[in-house]
Amino acid sequence: MIPNRSEYLKQQALQGQKIMGVLPALYPKELLWAFDILPAEIWDPPGDIVKANRHLQTTICPIVKQSLEFILTEPGIVNAGYLFPHTCDSLQNLGSQVKDMIGVPVPVYTFYNPKGNFNKATRAYYGDILNEFLQVLADVHGPPDIEKLRAACELGLKIDGRRIELQQARMTDRLSLNSQQYFQLIRAAEFMQPVDYLYLLNQVEIQDEPLKSHAIRFLISGILPPNDMTLSFLDDLGIGIVAEDLLAGSRRIPIATLDPPADPIEYLTDRFFLLPPCSTKAGSLDHRQQYLKKLASDSKAQAVLFNIVKFCEPELFDHRSLVKSLKNEGLPVLSLETELLPGLSGQTQTRIEAIVEMMGDEVLA
Amino acid sequence: MSNALFAGVDVGSLSTDVVLIDSAGATRAEVVFPTGINGAEAAQKAYDLALEQGGISRDQIKAVIATGYGRAAVAFASGKTTEISCHGVGAHHLFPDTGTVIDIGGQDSKVIQVDGRGRMLDFSMNDKCAAGTGRFLEVMAAQLEMNLNELSDPRHVSGESVQISSTCTVFAESEVISLLAKHTPREQIINGLQRSIVNRIWSMVISIGIQGEITITGGVAKNKGLVTVLEEKLGMHLNVPDNPQTVGALGAAHIAQRGFKDE
Repeated sequence: MIPNRSEYLKQQALQGQKIMGVLPALYPKELLWAFDILPAEIWDPPGDIVKANRHLQTTICPIVKQSLEFILTEPGIVNAGYLFPHTCDSLQNLGSQVKDMIGVPVPVYTFYNPKGNFNKATRAYYGDILNEFLQVLADVHGPPDIEKLRAACELGLKIDGRRIELQQARMTDRLSLNSQQYFQLIRAAEFMQPVDYLYLLNQVEIQDEPLKSHAIRFLISGILPPNDMTLSFLDDLGIGIVAEDLLAGSRRIPIATLDPPADPIEYLTDRFFLLPPCSTKAGSLDHRQQYLKKLASDSKAQAVLFNIVKFCEPELFDHRSLVKSLKNEGLPVLSLETELLPGLSGQTQTRIEAIVEMMGDEVLA
Repeated sequence: MSNALFAGVDVGSLSTDVVLIDSAGATRAEVVFPTGINGAEAAQKAYDLALEQGGISRDQIKAVIATGYGRAAVAFASGKTTEISCHGVGAHHLFPDTGTVIDIGGQDSKVIQVDGRGRMLDFSMNDKCAAGTGRFLEVMAAQLEMNLNELSDPRHVSGESVQISSTCTVFAESEVISLLAKHTPREQIINGLQRSIVNRIWSMVISIGIQGEITITGGVAKNKGLVTVLEEKLGMHLNVPDNPQTVGALGAAHIAQRGFKDE
């Protein structure tokens, strides 16, 4: 049902599709769609990191390493450039390194998202960088077609709307997908054509009535979901991930409904400022705490799982305070660390089983 | 029910421990057996030895709970429970006012908060690095050409100390080599090593907090020097079981008993 990322992109490239390799996470996809460019995020699937280690310190996060490994061993998919949004300092530095030192045969673009507490000036800045990026793309791919851009925004709006419906359905036990299937669906947004992706989202059936509830309901927070083996293990223990606060997931979806786009730049600006709080935007920690508590309450989550990417500075800066704040609310918290490798270590199993025991089942079968 | 016996089998990285208890909770047999490379085989052998030691037949055992990193390999177990829960229950059984358990094992260390029944309320775990574990001490003892008993002597922690890395066993080992090359007295190095482990444990303690009495479990609890430094750092007395290594297996046996009663 969900295509394999590498195979899908190879097929797209063979068909002559313009493909831009994109680093996570917040960037205006609609602008790229309007120029018939397919943004393909290059931080997955994980593989061996060999060449990238020559260029990076050991304390750089595996997302940066994985992305650089892709760039250095690129299998002939990316033909329209690379885009580095300013997600964190490490990704920003990687952009400079790829552009100025390593060198690639395609253009390298940057997109500096605003950070901190937002105000009128930040909003004006965001509008400016959207227009600048539009112009940069126009210099290479020809003048923008505003009608096409408006249509791209409308398509994005439909995708957002369906994603919100599916999130709500997940929270209320009306989706029959297990955790692995659900996150594969969510992450397919990182590489699929928007029309294909919307079709895929619309294929997922939302039940009228709630299905059997999970034995234990978890809210997950972090950059990306755990790997498939870990998700299966959670499923086997009766742990359902009923809500998510992931940079690869709901942090990319506005928290309120938007009007159809009259002015695309205005629409994209509104959309950005309606995204949920996120460590990579360096906003108010208090806002993030309140948001997570509400998400836990709305989804009736009984515990919170933080899936922390090793050396991920933005997440780690917030993590300690978030854990304390959630524990004060009486929510058990489980923190796992990932290096984006497949497999499930005995230590990780022990941590997961321990929290299940803590919440009730002293003996596991 | 009165003749019923229960078993806890803790398959750890260094040793496999078995404790058999009766329905009154009294220990009837206790075995510590080297795990080696085959946890399943070690579990079976240790269990057989415990039965033999207690003069107990297999059918007297009503439930067996497996714990430890090799818990999934214990084919004869009726259930499995993490060592985190088991250390909490075991410590509570030995010291009923225990509110916090510090378990320092061969390859990881944990701080566990427990309630009035020994049930886990929260935990913090160091499982990514050998620093702050029994393995750290083994490596350092080898470097200092001492055995673990000599290293554990509390007299070594009463005098001067040197600063040693608490974040990495490999770095700490090279620091020790440099200190030895500079003819730093061994007592000062040992004192520094004990404090290095305690600093690592301390970071876990402050992440979840202390409540009630503190009981230390795991093989490293036999290290009197470390216990002295830890008590000094915490400003509290630590409960030290006679057999800290078998507290996990003891807890598993009690969980087996609880489960049986509940059925």
